[in-house]
Amino acid sequence: MVQILDIMEKALEGKPMSETDYQLRLFAPKVAEKVKEHRIKWDPEIPIPSDNSLADELFEAGLELLVDVGAYCTDTGRVISYTEEEIRRSLKEAPSKLHFGEGRDRKKLVARTPEDKTPPWCLLGAGGGPCSSDRSFLTLVEGYAEIPETNAITTPAITRVGGMRVRPASPLEVLAAQRNAVLAREACNRVGREGIPIMNSLATAESDIAFAAALQPRFGMRRSDGYMICCMDPMKVDFARLNKVAVALSMGGAIGMCFGPMLGGYAGGPEGTAVSNVAHHMMGVLTYQSSWLLPFTIHLKYVASSSRDMLWVISSMGQAISRNTHLLSLNLNYTTAGPCTPMCLYETSASVMAAVVSGLSIESLGVATNKHEDRTTPVEPRISAEVAHAVAGMKRSDANELAKKLLAKYESKLSSPPLGKGLYECWDADGREPSKDYKAVIRQYKKGMADMGLELKPEL
Amino acid sequence: MSEEKILKDLQKSVLEYDSAGAVSAAKAAIAAKMDPLKAVEKGLVPSIETIGDKFEKMEIYLPELMLAADAMKSALALLLPLIPKGSKGAKATVVIGTVQGDVHEIGKNIVSSLLMAGGFNVIDLGVDVKTTVFIDEAKRNSAGVIGASALMSSTIGSQKDIVDFLVSSRDRKKYAVLVGGGPTTKEWAKEIGADGCGMTAVEAVALANKFSKGR
Repeated sequence: MVQILDIMEKALEGKPMSETDYQLRLFAPKVAEKVKEHRIKWDPEIPIPSDNSLADELFEAGLELLVDVGAYCTDTGRVISYTEEEIRRSLKEAPSKLHFGEGRDRKKLVARTPEDKTPPWCLLGAGGGPCSSDRSFLTLVEGYAEIPETNAITTPAITRVGGMRVRPASPLEVLAAQRNAVLAREACNRVGREGIPIMNSLATAESDIAFAAALQPRFGMRRSDGYMICCMDPMKVDFARLNKVAVALSMGGAIGMCFGPMLGGYAGGPEGTAVSNVAHHMMGVLTYQSSWLLPFTIHLKYVASSSRDMLWVISSMGQAISRNTHLLSLNLNYTTAGPCTPMCLYETSASVMAAVVSGLSIESLGVATNKHEDRTTPVEPRISAEVAHAVAGMKRSDANELAKKLLAKYESKLSSPPLGKGLYECWDADGREPSKDYKAVIRQYKKGMADMGLELKPEL
Repeated sequence: MSEEKILKDLQKSVLEYDSAGAVSAAKAAIAAKMDPLKAVEKGLVPSIETIGDKFEKMEIYLPELMLAADAMKSALALLLPLIPKGSKGAKATVVIGTVQGDVHEIGKNIVSSLLMAGGFNVIDLGVDVKTTVFIDEAKRNSAGVIGASALMSSTIGSQKDIVDFLVSSRDRKKYAVLVGGGPTTKEWAKEIGADGCGMTAVEAVALANKFSKGR
């Protein structure tokens, strides 16, 4: 078993290399080589493939990629290498189930397989999207906690403390991260779901010091929460991230590495991006000591995960992982369109379906590229979860046909999507429900889904 | 070696992401006493423009874009010092980096490479760049544009610092400050007094073009 001290030893003794050489002259060409050797090819007509041999080739390609390039430590300028035996053993030893939460909200996250009827784990919320105030933070998290399918919450990020914009690694970030922990728990308590786990701990803590500071028990974080740590693309780590790993391990927290190889980025096109995603899963288990994984690939041009090629990446890498490992993997999706638009709901439906029928669970979601403050509501994750439960057990071939119908609804608008409305323009915080306008949009969307063959819960 | 052959070699080196080839072709241009401006404008620029177009259409990806930009940079390092000041060459100098406390580089790398493809002289300061370094490097390189990237909602405050420092030192008029990255918006740019926000890499280059002759 590779442990944190082994990682440090590798980071201090590995092959020296410049960061540019690692990503441009080692990683990128090796990805292209693996795509070619394993004859991986995506077909735009099949955004959700059913080809098991493609999934298995992708798995082998990803494993070989990790053996060939390892991870890269930016602080030591060295490659952290792994043998094939180390990788295969770590995959075998990784947990196939984990418990999160407390009391009646304590639930079990389990590994899934393609076309699995097991409902996916629904980590719902804002995926670290920016919110402007404590008020909007509480409004959102209360709304997320009230969604019946919510297994765990992914909070927004706090951007201001005492009217001042948060600065990295400053007391403002420390205080904001502590406030993130306190307010998240408070919001869950307010709606009677005090045991629900927070699994993106802590969205506001980018620095290691803020992360560690907010884990003081008095702020409410628990061992039964999920400890998300973000990887730098491609396959990179630094001491600050390893510090977070050491801190989370010391308190017995389950680490989930979050990684987002961009489609069009260092791994190239859809095929290379899928290979890179598979390799990142394995790298996360080793380097970041992760017991669960959080892929969130986004498209370089659209900054979202709903385009045709992105659906293929989500589905193919999901199948590669779920057919060949028992890793616990949750795909995070982003939309281009904003709240109170049918397009946003269609986009998240397509991405979520691609993940769920391919054996993944979900984190949902970043709305309108997760760029704008308070441009997200509890509706979008609720719809994502309804779709996730509705498609569990669906055949991949049927999902492929539905995906094509969904794409026809929004594909041509990805370059100039409607941004929709802000939180309080389309969410009634006191009534704990969407505005009249948004309800009409949801009914229109659900009718559209039913017309395409997927019945969702009736909208009250 | 004929001028025609040298120009073809320069073009080929960028199109084939070949830094060593670019250096060799640039040295050949110097040895042949070729007009360095012609070597840049007829040799390097058409190829890097082709690369930029291909990247926008996603026919090639980030590694190819960066390697082509690297090849061009290698040749420019030899040719630019030979171009007399005041003659038309590179459009303007842009100092670009990711702000203090933020180590995200992909967006910045794309903009940096596309700016180079657009004919700018680009000084890439890397990631986690202190505010004073942005300003000192802009002054040292006589830059017209400062580009500050930030991916985190907790790091965009440093973009405001750049504007504040320039105002405080009465240098604000000398530099166009452009911001971009994950949580940045046009409203944010306006709020902090920046000159623009590139919502996409292409828009960032368009803004740099707008300010290439000054604010």
